[in-house]
Amino acid sequence: MNTNLKISNVTKIYPGCVANDNISLEFNSGKIYALLGENGAGKSTLVKILSGVIIPDEGKIYLNENNLKLNSPLDAKKNDIGMVFQHFNLFETLSVFENLIIDSDEQRESLREKIDTIMKKYNFSIDLDIPVLNLSAGQKQKVEIIRCLIRSPKVLIMDEPTSVLTEQETSELFLSLKKFSEEGILIIYITHKLKEVMQLCDEVAVMRRGKLVSVSEIKNENIESLANKMVGQNLKIIKKKKAKTSSDQLIKITNLNFTSEDPFETNLMDINFSVNRGECLGIAGISGNGQSELFQVLSGEIISEKNSIEFKNNYIGDLNPQERREYLMAFSPEDRLEQAAIPQMKIFENVALNNFKSSNFFDNGLINENKIKEHSKKIISDFNVNTDNIELKSQFLSGGNLQKLIIGRELITSPDLLICFNPTWGLDVGAINYIHETLIKINEQNKSIILISTDTDELLKLSDKISVIHKGKLSKIMNAEEVTSEKLGILMGGAN
Amino acid sequence: MIIDINFIGLIIASIMASAVPLILASCGELITERSGVLNLGVEGMMIIGAISGFALMTVTGSLIIAIIGAMLAGVLISTIFAFLTQTLITNHVATGLALTIFGIGISAMIGKNFVGIPGKEFPVLFEGLKDTIPLLGPILFGHSIVFYFAFALPFITSYFLKKTKIGLIVRAVGDSPESASNQGINVRLVRYACILYGGAMSGLAGAYLSMIYTPQWIENMTGGRGWIALALVVFSTWNPIKILIGAMIFGGLTIIQFHMQAIGVRIPVQFLTALPYIVTIIVLVVISRDSRKIRLSTPSSLGKSFHKDN
Repeated sequence: MNTNLKISNVTKIYPGCVANDNISLEFNSGKIYALLGENGAGKSTLVKILSGVIIPDEGKIYLNENNLKLNSPLDAKKNDIGMVFQHFNLFETLSVFENLIIDSDEQRESLREKIDTIMKKYNFSIDLDIPVLNLSAGQKQKVEIIRCLIRSPKVLIMDEPTSVLTEQETSELFLSLKKFSEEGILIIYITHKLKEVMQLCDEVAVMRRGKLVSVSEIKNENIESLANKMVGQNLKIIKKKKAKTSSDQLIKITNLNFTSEDPFETNLMDINFSVNRGECLGIAGISGNGQSELFQVLSGEIISEKNSIEFKNNYIGDLNPQERREYLMAFSPEDRLEQAAIPQMKIFENVALNNFKSSNFFDNGLINENKIKEHSKKIISDFNVNTDNIELKSQFLSGGNLQKLIIGRELITSPDLLICFNPTWGLDVGAINYIHETLIKINEQNKSIILISTDTDELLKLSDKISVIHKGKLSKIMNAEEVTSEKLGILMGGAN
Repeated sequence: MIIDINFIGLIIASIMASAVPLILASCGELITERSGVLNLGVEGMMIIGAISGFALMTVTGSLIIAIIGAMLAGVLISTIFAFLTQTLITNHVATGLALTIFGIGISAMIGKNFVGIPGKEFPVLFEGLKDTIPLLGPILFGHSIVFYFAFALPFITSYFLKKTKIGLIVRAVGDSPESASNQGINVRLVRYACILYGGAMSGLAGAYLSMIYTPQWIENMTGGRGWIALALVVFSTWNPIKILIGAMIFGGLTIIQFHMQAIGVRIPVQFLTALPYIVTIIVLVVISRDSRKIRLSTPSSLGKSFHKDN
């Protein structure tokens, strides 16, 4: 049976922003549709409307000519619309089976049989009786998909499904999605990754700033044309020039170990690497394999053995972040609003938080506001932060602007080593480009970078050397030119 | 020295009796916390239950009305907490503390006219069987219905959480209210229900104190038991069976230290009085050390307000 889903003149307005501006779209089963757009383009709002999480201000949704009233997620489920969210809607401490039975009306035994049938059919293998927190991201996603399939949905919506997957898991997912589509399930695939759209989908709708920009067939598009539609301007392609090989060693990590008491954290085992001046060392891996622990150990949030970290011929493993900054190290953590900045504080106050000693921000314990403000203005203009109000609370900056501010704050002391963790996570293409350019510039000035990132393309673009972290262990260090994303994918999955 | 074996039975029975209010209040609070709500008002809800039970018993003369009334009083005062924290999204900790202060104050006010009035005898079950079995007889028989209910409650609670659909929903809400809401579970409704249930159990615990354990009204008669109940929940790592163990240790040491004081053991009184608190916590910490299990049974959203935005 054919499924036809129609979105008709949907509008959703938030204070200060039109998230969806009069969107009309039509989907038919048998095809895979891409909904493409940058962060903040309004894709997520639209799919949340389709799944009943958000109620639109105006507009209607029709499934096979029936006007749907989607006032809650239950309504969407009842109307055979299944949704896999970007942030999983799973209960970490409950078992897989408990997660699946919670919204099912079936008896335990019959549900178990049904799940087994689904898993066999699509070649999934997941232990139903272990808590979800023990699963990998790919497995968690499969649990979400099974949850949808139990209800034999007509429509399956996937919201940025590959952001946490390896290359291998991604291609597995694509195979499954194609299978679902052949079986008559209408698939809507939300993403900002152009490559995936080209690989998987039949039709693509592009959104920008809440508006629908275009609807077209994939065969009439290519990556550049889609990129330009998505961003709304022609993008320049950034490329890194090959760095002059320097043999001047800046930082050396020797037999670094970290054992955590928190079962949620990853232990680091026997980490060894070194970075020369002017080099960028990329560390790839699927999130949750020890990256955040490695970042914390390198930044001094976690203290390690004194001799395990040697920086400019000093042993600094036992120093805290503040003391390490004095040696001209700088840090850009993953979580901009939780770790890198304090959202309720003003821009210039956040700037002051870093440079306690080397700058003269404080006179005899009193805040020298003028000096800090002057300094903040310099960061804002040097690093292209899109505001002229340094009294603005940091939480009101967009992710891209906040990241520029943080990188700017870190770089203004012109450090010898910048350690960043997912610096472009969740940013739009323009901001990503700017950050990438900045990082390349740092290397050109003969300064070094350790770039911990889950974005393989970013690593291949910026790194001189690459290593992969898997379950707290580093792979051998490879020259970036010899590495392909496929090879990284295999290493990230744990194979040698 | 010859010790009557039934005397030991009686001591154990008295230890169990002193554990009853802790078990009741803890098991109620456990359900509340499992749904992600931290209600620090247990002490306040208990004392409201105590005065309501005692007052209703004195005024109406009916024990059933008094017991049910005490539970309803617990529900009523916890409704205030639920409304504030779930509907008006106030901070759980501050609201819970306010509830305790409010409860202690208002119970003292109502209780003014009930000080010194003797209580009524509460009927006990299986009185006749007490002497049929040595040692076990006094332990098993001759107690009030609330006593039996309290010792069944940890097992019922455990079964409810592990085996029933509603129990699963409660745990799910406590684990991730966002996910639960996206799954179509009414988080606010679940949390309201859990808070009100916790209130009812605290009310019953209070009524047990003023109607059965020491049948009279004394101002501030809960004497910190609400706080102990709260501590039991946390240190048992939200496990009802461990609550039972903790409550027994606490009750046991309280009784034993009384006896030790009475015999005149040469240990400072302050130390003896503090003993139950210290030992209970140490024992519970030791038996709940497994950090993986703690992670699995701690409600991740405990104490955090959940506000569904649209």
